[in-house]
Amino acid sequence: MQEATFLILTALADGSQHGYGIIAEVQEISGGRVRLRAGTLYTALDRLRVDGLIEVDREEIVEGRLRRYYRLTPEGTERLAAEAARLQANARAALARLKPLGVVT
Amino acid sequence: MTEPSRLERGYRRVLACYPKEFRRANEEEILAVLLATAAEGRQRAGLAECADLLRGAIKMHLGMSRSPRPVLNAVRLMCAGAVLTLAVLATVLVTLGSLRSDFIQNFTAAQWHTVMLTQIVPVLASAPIGAGVWLWLAWANGRGYDWARPAFMALFGVVTTGLLLGVGEGTALYAPADLIAATVLWLVGLAVIVLIFSKTASPYYQQEPAQQ
Repeated sequence: MQEATFLILTALADGSQHGYGIIAEVQEISGGRVRLRAGTLYTALDRLRVDGLIEVDREEIVEGRLRRYYRLTPEGTERLAAEAARLQANARAALARLKPLGVVT
Repeated sequence: MTEPSRLERGYRRVLACYPKEFRRANEEEILAVLLATAAEGRQRAGLAECADLLRGAIKMHLGMSRSPRPVLNAVRLMCAGAVLTLAVLATVLVTLGSLRSDFIQNFTAAQWHTVMLTQIVPVLASAPIGAGVWLWLAWANGRGYDWARPAFMALFGVVTTGLLLGVGEGTALYAPADLIAATVLWLVGLAVIVLIFSKTASPYYQQEPAQQ
């Protein structure tokens, strides 16, 4: 799973979000490192919808403009959990090997 | 109703590059995000933002967000095939000088002239068209048109014939680098065939285009 995809799914893990909300969440989760642009975001959202990992939660009109909220599907939640566990296991293994070198505490 | 700002008009021009059906469903929403993320007082769409939107538009036209994974990978390979076709052309051009001097040692200059006209020039002239065909079939397969797979089979047939002829002529007419480049291109074509005829990919080609 690509980092942007992982971060988008993470942004939706605790509730539905609209496009701008996802961009802001992803920026916050990544500590400002990843700033999604609209083109990248909507290509990823389209892909995730086709793959059945997210779905449209609701639509609103705010100041005359469409705002569409997305949420994780059960399959999306499952995939995110599996990916998070995989990354955690890899990180744990890396940290365990780095510890004797004194690089990490 | 207020007039759209210059920035909004700029974004709309770039969004016009997206496929019609995608625009109908998403343009207003994307526009809202673009305007919300634009810096205060900004008048024109940024270059990076436009490049990102154009990249997204190309992916949408190639069906790269809608197609199943094997088709997605096949589309990527077909784009690589287009680049490789041009790489074969470049390889032939680069090795032409050494090929000529080797050829002239055994044959006359007039024979070299004939070989150039009948065999090498057609290869060089058809390469850009070939690259275009690879890209066109990438688009058609990405969109899931039912004719796209047989059409790619036909292209693969041409690539295979070209490779067999090249191998038949051997080093008399082509440098080893030319044959290696042509073999890599053939392998790319073979991988595409495997992907687009896979079990996961097949249902995608049986849908109505509107569903894709």
